Amino acid sequence: MAQFIEKSNIMLQQTVDNWEDAIRQSGLLLLQNHSIDFAYINEMVKAVKTLGPYMVIIPHVALGHARPGKHVKKNDISLLTLKKPINFGSEHNDPVNVIFAFCAEGSEGHLQLLKKLGLLLDDPHIMQTIQESSDLNQIDRLINEEMDK
Amino acid sequence: MKRLKILTVCGFGVGSSLVLKMKLDELLKEEGIDAHVETADVGSASSTPCDIIFTSKELSEKLISSVQVPVIRVSNFIDKNEIKEAGLEKLHELIKE
Repeated sequence: MAQFIEKSNIMLQQTVDNWEDAIRQSGLLLLQNHSIDFAYINEMVKAVKTLGPYMVIIPHVALGHARPGKHVKKNDISLLTLKKPINFGSEHNDPVNVIFAFCAEGSEGHLQLLKKLGLLLDDPHIMQTIQESSDLNQIDRLINEEMDK
Repeated sequence: MKRLKILTVCGFGVGSSLVLKMKLDELLKEEGIDAHVETADVGSASSTPCDIIFTSKELSEKLISSVQVPVIRVSNFIDKNEIKEAGLEKLHELIKE
């Protein structure tokens, strides 16, 4: 099984100014991995501005993304965690300290990625470790090896 | 009993709505409800025929004026209990119709 979230797509305990900065940083990880054009990052920010903070899908966790296809080179996902949580304006799920950003080429190819993400979000132990850890190797192992067992 | 068509809705129909669909599928199976769950983006949701819509609070406000079917609001997309409390009663009502 290929890596779920590549190690180079994970950044832990970062400091950001606000939600927009957080979305941009999580998007930069995808850009750096040659998965999107820069324009995709602007689209992710625009999505929150126009559609509201619905992307904060569970308490403390945001799922940043934009429309598939345009500006996407391959299906990919990144993980950014924050030292100090920030608010998106979500009534029930603020403040946020974990941001997953993903990009999809089409409407279906990324289903496996999102299925895995669903399992991960549903595991309180893994999510707590992700929120607290600053150990990249530990998180890489947890997400990419132990989860498959 | 009729087979329900359920729509989960998010901004682009490819992210949060899929996560919500996964949880909803689990719940439907547990409850023995026969239904087909599809995802949609907030723009096309109102023109997609369905019996009921599940979405976030933020997006429900955008949808509620343009659709005729019940819109169930969920704030935690993987909390099966919340989804159950918010929507199960309505689902049972719809099956009986």
